[in-house]
Amino acid sequence: MADASAFARGFRLSTELVAGVLVGAGLGWLIDRWLGISPWGLIVFLMLGFAAGVLNVMRAAGVVRDRQLND
Amino acid sequence: MAADPIHQFRIVDLFPVAKIGSTEIYFTNSSLLMLVAVFGLTAFLVIGTARRSLVPSRLQSAAELSYEFVATTIRGTAGAEGMKFFPFVFTLFMFVLTLNMLGLIPYSFTVTSHIIITAALAIMVFLTVLIYGLMRHGLHFFNLFVPKGVPIYILPLIVGIEILSFISRPISHSVRLFANMLAGHITLQVFAGFIVLLGAGLGAVGWIGGILPFAMIVILFALETLVAFLQAYVFAILTCIYLNDAIHPGH
Repeated sequence: MADASAFARGFRLSTELVAGVLVGAGLGWLIDRWLGISPWGLIVFLMLGFAAGVLNVMRAAGVVRDRQLND
Repeated sequence: MAADPIHQFRIVDLFPVAKIGSTEIYFTNSSLLMLVAVFGLTAFLVIGTARRSLVPSRLQSAAELSYEFVATTIRGTAGAEGMKFFPFVFTLFMFVLTLNMLGLIPYSFTVTSHIIITAALAIMVFLTVLIYGLMRHGLHFFNLFVPKGVPIYILPLIVGIEILSFISRPISHSVRLFANMLAGHITLQVFAGFIVLLGAGLGAVGWIGGILPFAMIVILFALETLVAFLQAYVFAILTCIYLNDAIHPGH
């Protein structure tokens, strides 16, 4: 993506990572509460969320090509 | 003291419009700015396209320019089929752009600096992608989460990561716009506060020294104008990328 400024690009990448981790943590916490398996849900989903955040960043940075461009 | 940098984001109740349960619903300065944006945009487009002369007036070329800009963005990211979402993306882009720009007017209010607004817009985009994708492709839409050519033994892990990545979209989508507008306006206000502090603290010398932060405000204001446009553009282009997933999932 051709963002016009480096600042916007940097900001985009950082929010992508944070969003992934936050979603993982939130989902893990909810699953813990519903199933009463604390702290395993949080541990597993935090790691999955981190991986998802890294994937987001790599997609946004164009390291991994976007799905839609693969075909 | 005019130096409180958060004061500018305060929601002011103007008059009550409805009452749900024990909660009064107020018409606020935020609603006022949104109404101004909607009416201003409608007037701009209606008047701009009213004459449709071959040699366009200034207003008409501005309207045509904004159409062309959004149309090119959509075709570039979501393909020709994405054009069926043109009204949606165009409305989002122009609405966010206008609110960002209105927020730059001194003594005005920046609607997009409140996360509830940007989150509502991002969730709207998210639900549009989800509902349209499911309607159009049925359960094949979930192929989105299953990348091709992945060995079967790590597939469950990858699918989990893809799903989390998908769910995290509205968060990064909304936080980016909100945080940019919030941070920019706080920075401006802090530098403006320096002038007052210098002047009040050091008298004449302070007022002369205040030229430095003032020069900084001029530069920052130019940057903020760029950011206001850029963030509206980024919001629109990400909307297109997400919509593209609804139109062509997986493969």
